Amino acid sequence: MDFNFTDDQEQLRDAVRKWVDRSYTFERRQGIARAGGFDRAAYNELAELGLTGLYVPEEHGGMGMGPVEAMVVLEELGRGIVLEPLAATLVASGVLGGYAADAVKSQWLPKVASGAALVVLAHQERKARWRLDACEATATQAGGAWKVSGDKSLVPAGDQADAFLVPAKVNGRIGLFLVERNAQGVGTRGYPTMDEARAAEVSLRDAAATLVTADGLPALEHAVDIGIACACAEGVGAIDRTMQLTAEYLNTRKQFGVTLATFQALRHRMADMKMQQELARSMSYYASLKLNAPAEERRRAMARAKYQLGVSMRFVGQHSVQLHGGIGVTDEYVGSHYFKKLTQLELQYGDTLHHLGEVSERMQDSAGVFA
Amino acid sequence: MDLAFTPEEQKFREDIRTWVRANLPQDIAHKVHNALHLTRDDMQRWARILGKKGWLGYGWPKEFGGPGWSAVQKHLFEEECALAGAPRIVPFGPVMVAPVIMAFGSPEQQKRFLPGIASGEVWWSQGYSEPGSGSDLASLKTRAERKGDKYIVNGQKTWTTLAQFGEWIFCLVRTSTEGKPQTGISFLLVDMKSPGVTVRPIIMLDGGHEVNEVFFDNVEVPAENLIGEENKGWTYAKHLLSHERTNIADVNRAKRELERLKRIAKSEGVWTDTRFRDEIAKLEVDIVALEMLVLRVLSAEKSGKNPLDIAGLLKIKGSEIQQRYSELMMLAAGPYAIPFIREAMEAGYQGDYVGAAYIAPLAATYFNMRKTTIYGGSNEVQRNIVAQTVLG
Repeated sequence: MDFNFTDDQEQLRDAVRKWVDRSYTFERRQGIARAGGFDRAAYNELAELGLTGLYVPEEHGGMGMGPVEAMVVLEELGRGIVLEPLAATLVASGVLGGYAADAVKSQWLPKVASGAALVVLAHQERKARWRLDACEATATQAGGAWKVSGDKSLVPAGDQADAFLVPAKVNGRIGLFLVERNAQGVGTRGYPTMDEARAAEVSLRDAAATLVTADGLPALEHAVDIGIACACAEGVGAIDRTMQLTAEYLNTRKQFGVTLATFQALRHRMADMKMQQELARSMSYYASLKLNAPAEERRRAMARAKYQLGVSMRFVGQHSVQLHGGIGVTDEYVGSHYFKKLTQLELQYGDTLHHLGEVSERMQDSAGVFA
Repeated sequence: MDLAFTPEEQKFREDIRTWVRANLPQDIAHKVHNALHLTRDDMQRWARILGKKGWLGYGWPKEFGGPGWSAVQKHLFEEECALAGAPRIVPFGPVMVAPVIMAFGSPEQQKRFLPGIASGEVWWSQGYSEPGSGSDLASLKTRAERKGDKYIVNGQKTWTTLAQFGEWIFCLVRTSTEGKPQTGISFLLVDMKSPGVTVRPIIMLDGGHEVNEVFFDNVEVPAENLIGEENKGWTYAKHLLSHERTNIADVNRAKRELERLKRIAKSEGVWTDTRFRDEIAKLEVDIVALEMLVLRVLSAEKSGKNPLDIAGLLKIKGSEIQQRYSELMMLAAGPYAIPFIREAMEAGYQGDYVGAAYIAPLAATYFNMRKTTIYGGSNEVQRNIVAQTVLG
């Protein structure tokens, strides 16, 4: 039982934090947001730091690191509300590394690690809401070649990505496939998201596909769980920065001749936000430390973590805006962009009510960190 | 980072579990698991069993006869005791006054008082709160005037937990009215058999006699019972508060009570009611998150770096959870929580129950638990402390 970071992990954190502070200023971010919400150059800078290869094994040109390193990195990206979807890359590389055949790994993982290929999970369907087993896309095989048809939504940077990981049904069973964006039969329609990043609708019509695994549902569940752990860590980073901004504001802004920080009603609100901050951090640790557990234990843990993060992100986001007063609801103020990021994170990979239901369904006689 | 306890820590847990299973009297465990009334004898029997093993002062260092356990070992001991259904150790002697005597008492005081605390033979009470001094404890007025080799104590303490059994009481008393209120307070040990000490019960809303008023009317206390220096008592009391940071959260008991809540929900048929079950699910996440918070504090203590100053958060969350599980247990029983039959809350009740035996104490426990967000520094005071760490 040890929650200290190693020196290597602290160095990794410092490196990412420096990049965010120096290279990914709020001005640059807003420029990228106005230009569409995704900047390949910025993504390549993450690749230069080695982060796109964080989950890629060393033999495929990556860093071969684990969930705690991923958490450290994503906390820092969350602190800087970085738009480029590193989390999506970790999801895709985690699944490819864990479930794909060697030939597929050799073909794709080095490109993912170097940043040459942005591969993202494209699983959301209109009728599925949060259900992972609900899938209308289908795959067929003819002469040894796979083709996938279907429509996928909310694909991160979907009109910029190079390939998609697509769940599709084969004889009633979900398989996981890799489809390249420039393959024939692939169409994308990009749009901005509430956090000012980018997503796309992806339509697949007999698009050429590579089979990643025929047993797709466990892989998809694992992918979503990696996504949850990433969202938790990003959420903690965004909460940390939100708390800092709010504390600074309360200690600066004066009304009735005194700083807002002198009013007990506001101080108590801040204490309640601090509670949520620490509960969120605790459960983000928990998520990362359970990410390699057996599937059932892992799923239960991710549901618990995402529920807590959902509660905490909404509480801190909403109350931070409230404590800022009028400036909190302006586009000009940096804090409102954190609120939007926190809101979007709650809606990704299952919202708070969904995960409450998951926790509820999965409850056993005993409960605790180790049960 | 690693969630798992080390093999040595797990071995330690196993050893504790085996010993507790073998030595905790079953009739006491039954009462704890069913929230039935614990008598003085129940509490003291368990205290003496622990005392004989040398574990009543389980937080004590070796030099004072304790086991010298680490923060993690103490946590594991508390957890195994709680899950097995052991009564909470009455903390006033072994957990609260003993560390002060160790840190600030004279060698004579240590020799005189610590053995009786360690063995569980002497029952201690805590004399802090007064009718006019609750959250603002430093405003306390109970006077101790030095007359030769004695102090003459006059005043009143209140909310004195289990003082009806108390043999000794450690008190914060006013020895000076000069300067700030905090600087005129002394830490005095008083024999409750002294003439002039009167204990009067306060019956709480659940009908239980858990707390008392203690009156001091010209009570003579030998000056040798003063801990440390006169007027430094506030500092010593704060030292006491800084002790035992994590057990304030009582997360181990919460885990046990969550299991009981689930059993009750199943028996009452609300386990399959999604609306009710989701409330249990929320509590389950709360308890896991609180446990993670506690483990983070323990990890920080273990490594000696990045100390986590979140005792206020542990108090707030822990007490809210205690209230919530007692509330949900009562709500699970629905209309059958309404009968309030005191005798049915005692072990060995031979009369008829309304509904079921396990329902009988649920409402009383719910009422009783309202205290948790009030005592030990109310949760509003805790929020002031937490806000201080964020806003300065």
